[in-house]
Amino acid sequence: MLSRKVCLVMEFEQSSKAEELTDLLLLECDQLKENMPCDFSGIALQKYGEMDVVWPYVSGNRNEKYKYITVRYGKGIAGKVISSGSSMTIASFPNDIIGKSTEYPIMLAEKIISAYACPLIWKGVPKGALLIGFRDPHTFNQDNYQKVKQTAEKVESLLASYYFGN
Amino acid sequence: MELREMNHASTYIIQSQEEEIKRIALELHEGISQNLYSVSTGLEFIQSGIEHPDLQAYTKELSEIVNRTIKEVRLLSVELYPSTLMTLGLSSALKSYIKLFTSTFGVKINVESSGEEQKISESKGLAVFRSCQEALINIAKYADTSEANLSFKWEENLLEIVIDDIGIGFNVQEAIDNNLFKGIAAMKQRMTTAGGNCYLSSSIGKGTKVTIVLPTEIGGM
Repeated sequence: MLSRKVCLVMEFEQSSKAEELTDLLLLECDQLKENMPCDFSGIALQKYGEMDVVWPYVSGNRNEKYKYITVRYGKGIAGKVISSGSSMTIASFPNDIIGKSTEYPIMLAEKIISAYACPLIWKGVPKGALLIGFRDPHTFNQDNYQKVKQTAEKVESLLASYYFGN
Repeated sequence: MELREMNHASTYIIQSQEEEIKRIALELHEGISQNLYSVSTGLEFIQSGIEHPDLQAYTKELSEIVNRTIKEVRLLSVELYPSTLMTLGLSSALKSYIKLFTSTFGVKINVESSGEEQKISESKGLAVFRSCQEALINIAKYADTSEANLSFKWEENLLEIVIDDIGIGFNVQEAIDNNLFKGIAAMKQRMTTAGGNCYLSSSIGKGTKVTIVLPTEIGGM
């Protein structure tokens, strides 16, 4: 059996690693938002061992609602990107969306009008989504898609730590 | 058509819709869900008897999809019709919905209650539940606030529910003129049909307040 001291050291190391990971992922969100530039960027991930999707890392948020939002697999922009494994663009929310506007809580919470999200793959399976959002109508171009894709690759390389750390 | 006839027609339409929604919700919960449970159990049994690793993995994957579908069907059924309304009462059903609301939209709702809960009919309870649901969804969509309040006041033969927020608010007259008041009009119609009433006040920068009043003993549907 491990002694209490060893347990505490392991706990400390684990929390330090978690903090480090949070810093790295938040930095990716910040840099993506600045380089685009866009109003909001965020990483949605499936909870470990569950189907539900949360927004643990965001940048450019207007409020703290993202902390409480949990979307079902297949619902909302993140849920749809994860279930389909394909990127998704919303040109002018809430116009021309699939389903009801209430199925897109992050768009409502952050007052996003135009958004693009691409899947985050871990072990060959879509486990999350990387999203950029604009609070005014925006037409996405090839450069936008490329920048999101590059950041997605960096985020994907950190997903192992996210899932093993949790 | 006379006003009285129109009201009768609205009442009939609302009741028919609610009955149909309830029927679908129960069918999903008691019919489709039960069948899916049988499929899930069967797949687990088959999985335990398969020796081929690829086939075993495939059966496991199928079993996971079925279990996910069971969860989806259950959530859809609850979304359509709050079955706890009749089993646990209006307060519990609303509190349960508020939990789901916060985890969906990230808006925190502070709930307060005074007085002793009284028994109300299913149709009246459903009218109040749907009106509160509409008011809360409007907060998520338009109020631009992270917090709101909902208070129950149970008096003898009367229930009053107040839902207020300190969000951006809106010009009520302008909303009526621009035909943007359909949701609120539907709430009022539901409450009138149930023998109660629904009032709304709002001002720009100060938030919105919705008051739902329902006599709990006589009148209405």
